[in-house]
Amino acid sequence: MSAVEAAPRVEGRSNRGSTTWMVVPALVLLIGFFALPYLTIITMSLREASTRAVYGEGFTLAHYTTALGDFYIWGILGRTLLIGATVTVISLLLGYPVAYHLAKSRSRWTSLLYIFVLSPLLVGLVVRTFAWMIILSNNGVANQALQAVGLIDFPLQLMNNSLGVTIALTHVFLPFVILPLLGNLQAISPDLAMASRSLGASRMRTFWKVTLPLSMPGIQAGTILVFVLSISAYVTPAMLGGTGGRTMSVLVVQYLVDNFRWPAGAALAIIMAAVAVIFVGLYLRLTARAMRRLP
Amino acid sequence: MTALTIDRINKRYGNLHILKDISIPIGQGEFVSLLGPSGCGKTTTLRCIAGFERPDTGRILFGERDVTRALPEQRDIGMVFQSYALFPHMTVAENLSFGLEVRKVAPADRQRRIADVLAMVRLEGYDKRYPRELSGGQQQRVALARALVIEPSVLLLDEPLANLDATLRDEMRFFIRDLQQRVGITSIYVTHDQAEAMVMSDKIVVMNAGTISQFGSPREIYERPASQSVAGFIGRSNTISGKIAEALGQDGYKVETPCGSIGATGPAGLSKGAEVKIMIRPENISTRSQAASGHQQGAGAEEAGSGENVLAGSVVNSVYQGSANQLAVKLGSGDRVIVDVNGRNPLEVGEQVALRFAARDTWLLAS
Amino acid sequence: MTGATSGVEKTIWDRLFTVLVAAIYIFLMFPIVLVVLLSFNSGEFLAFPLEGFSLRWFEALFSNKRFLDATLYSIQIAATSTIVNAVIGTLAAIYVARHATVARDYIRLIMTAPLLVPEILTAIALLFYFYEIRIGTDYSIGIQIGHIVVTFPYVFLNVSSALFNFDRSQEEAARSLGAGGWMTFRRVTLPAIKPGIITGCLFAFVISFDIFNISLLLKSLGSNTLPLELFDYLRFNFDPTAAAIASLSIFMTFAAILIIDRTVGLRSLRF
Repeated sequence: MSAVEAAPRVEGRSNRGSTTWMVVPALVLLIGFFALPYLTIITMSLREASTRAVYGEGFTLAHYTTALGDFYIWGILGRTLLIGATVTVISLLLGYPVAYHLAKSRSRWTSLLYIFVLSPLLVGLVVRTFAWMIILSNNGVANQALQAVGLIDFPLQLMNNSLGVTIALTHVFLPFVILPLLGNLQAISPDLAMASRSLGASRMRTFWKVTLPLSMPGIQAGTILVFVLSISAYVTPAMLGGTGGRTMSVLVVQYLVDNFRWPAGAALAIIMAAVAVIFVGLYLRLTARAMRRLP
Repeated sequence: MTALTIDRINKRYGNLHILKDISIPIGQGEFVSLLGPSGCGKTTTLRCIAGFERPDTGRILFGERDVTRALPEQRDIGMVFQSYALFPHMTVAENLSFGLEVRKVAPADRQRRIADVLAMVRLEGYDKRYPRELSGGQQQRVALARALVIEPSVLLLDEPLANLDATLRDEMRFFIRDLQQRVGITSIYVTHDQAEAMVMSDKIVVMNAGTISQFGSPREIYERPASQSVAGFIGRSNTISGKIAEALGQDGYKVETPCGSIGATGPAGLSKGAEVKIMIRPENISTRSQAASGHQQGAGAEEAGSGENVLAGSVVNSVYQGSANQLAVKLGSGDRVIVDVNGRNPLEVGEQVALRFAARDTWLLAS
Repeated sequence: MTGATSGVEKTIWDRLFTVLVAAIYIFLMFPIVLVVLLSFNSGEFLAFPLEGFSLRWFEALFSNKRFLDATLYSIQIAATSTIVNAVIGTLAAIYVARHATVARDYIRLIMTAPLLVPEILTAIALLFYFYEIRIGTDYSIGIQIGHIVVTFPYVFLNVSSALFNFDRSQEEAARSLGAGGWMTFRRVTLPAIKPGIITGCLFAFVISFDIFNISLLLKSLGSNTLPLELFDYLRFNFDPTAAAIASLSIFMTFAAILIIDRTVGLRSLRF
């Protein structure tokens, strides 16, 4: 423990170098087992395929050209993006009212409602997706309910397609849009809304002209988070997407685990990441206008 | 004519009775301060007037119009917040324009009125700035301008100077008062700073624990406080306990105290034998060194018929305050009295002094 | 509506808004409640109507060696991740808050980076990397490191936020009273940031217990974490035993939430 005991003695400014040891284990972990590994995705994607080993001798761009020339992959990429965008939009539409309500709520139930928002986040993905399988399967709860009230005669196909994945992912990632928004909305002084009302603006007008523009940073953070998470989600599409709801992540894992095509899988992963970066970049540019005026 | 009538409003939160039968009539163009310690109900009263709270019972009238149930946006108020509450995503001009757009003022008119009000608060040329690019004092003036540009029937100010530093605060007191008088707008000002209320207001409502302790002009409140708590809250004061010995005319009394008989002024109708406290402001007492005065310690206090009282005591503490020395004098009765004396003639601790004050400078408070 | 508009009557819009929000809260909680309900249902199927209270599916779960092993394995991995991160995450947070100067923002960025990128990509990266550096996935070390990396930011962020909210003059006061550096840390700083450390650790434990992608790609042969076991089980079975496993995981999560709520309050969470 001598290192620990030595630490505080050098807390003074004079001998700053000696406190560096405190951050070394964390840096070793994150550089050695996080930053460097990411580089190996790139190198792996450039390796030649091999039937006898994980990869062959030389380097090639073939995995990229093959993937980008494949309509099947384009189709899956398009579906992934569509699911991601839909989940993001619905999450925002459902999440905003909840965040708004929580930010305003002063009742003693607030804490419980907060748990309602937080707990889906902390319950494992497999568990949550399993719950949606119970709800969405052909003789699941949703179909049972719809048949019971006489809306449908035959079960609807709610899973093993994009619809099921979209519904479940919305539930899974909804807290990620609520929480940044909640923080944002709570940071807006209630005086501003009161000032708006005192100037004659109705509550609607106050919301559109004051609260909503000021919550743009929260909207931006939350939607980016949900978009990135939902296009890269694996568990949910794998469990209830079937072939009709197969996404890029599922395809990548299939390449890596089932087909043992690591270099090609790496290329697909990079394509997926690149598309995500491009879309987030475009989105940032689009929303920059709305954010320009904010402090 | 009353521009604003607060009529017996009550407000409770659960078991807490925040406002107890508050009634305040406010005349057209008057500047009225709601003054009191935090939690006295002054802010709740203001929020009831603004419409952010609804009183449980009672009425609020703007002129003849009953607004008790009206929403804030339907009341035609201008409000200035302690935090200023300027919209951070709008420029100064857009902040000022907000209320005018709601009122559907034509664009040309809007521009003219914004320019006028910016000139009034001496911020010409600042219209394109964002609030964050302004100093605290400038933000304060924008907030004022935003409330005034819509020409509301009542201006409400919620401790608007609390976030400014002392120098700026003094300056803004006069600025706001001057502006209010030029515009002639009925104003209600919430503050816990008695000096602020004194210099700015036509009338002051002193509040305590949800009730009105006193409602009157600053002079009335300072010179004739209704109770010991008002006297204590507004300025510094000394009190000497005693019993009414005799009533002299309308408001004069002779009071029997442990220091002797003191001539004092008080509210009419105090009966003989009533327990009272004699309030004397420190600046109304003059001192002389006992050696020079020739009086003997413990001698009868009032100089017959002159209306002047003289008390003997000894200096127990002396604090230099720049413009004056503040003395603490212990009387024969054991009471301590604070006295302001001119710094040129310092008195030493332990020195015997004669304190002199006029009966008309005292005020009797019922104990 | 309370707060800014308290005492002002509710309009029809307020009521509609309340109904909408209530529906979304139900949407958030319904699946979780459903799983718990069905795990205690005596019926054979994961469907309504409920037939009666029964613990038979939990019995089935606890008599299944694979699930027991997986539970223990998950606890082992999560506990190791938590302990390692409690030490290195706290140290790093203190360093960044108190000592770092030039590269502070970069250090902070890399400390939180595992949270900013999709877990599946990190899993893929580690899969390749462990192969390249010959660690491979034959032993638990790979999956263990993966869990430590992914849960590190939770400890780091929560301790950082505790340090940020901690008034440094308390440390200076302790020093001025003659306490040495170590004593100051142990008696003043540590007690003050303890809630942050506890929260971060609980969080790290729960996340490590739950994460799937890292475990899927880095698992060593023959040992499954509980989420993996559930995932595999669901490929061929769809019965209330799965609900019992899920319930178990849900209970653990709610226990952690309750502890955090009672000790430091949920709103102080950072992620």
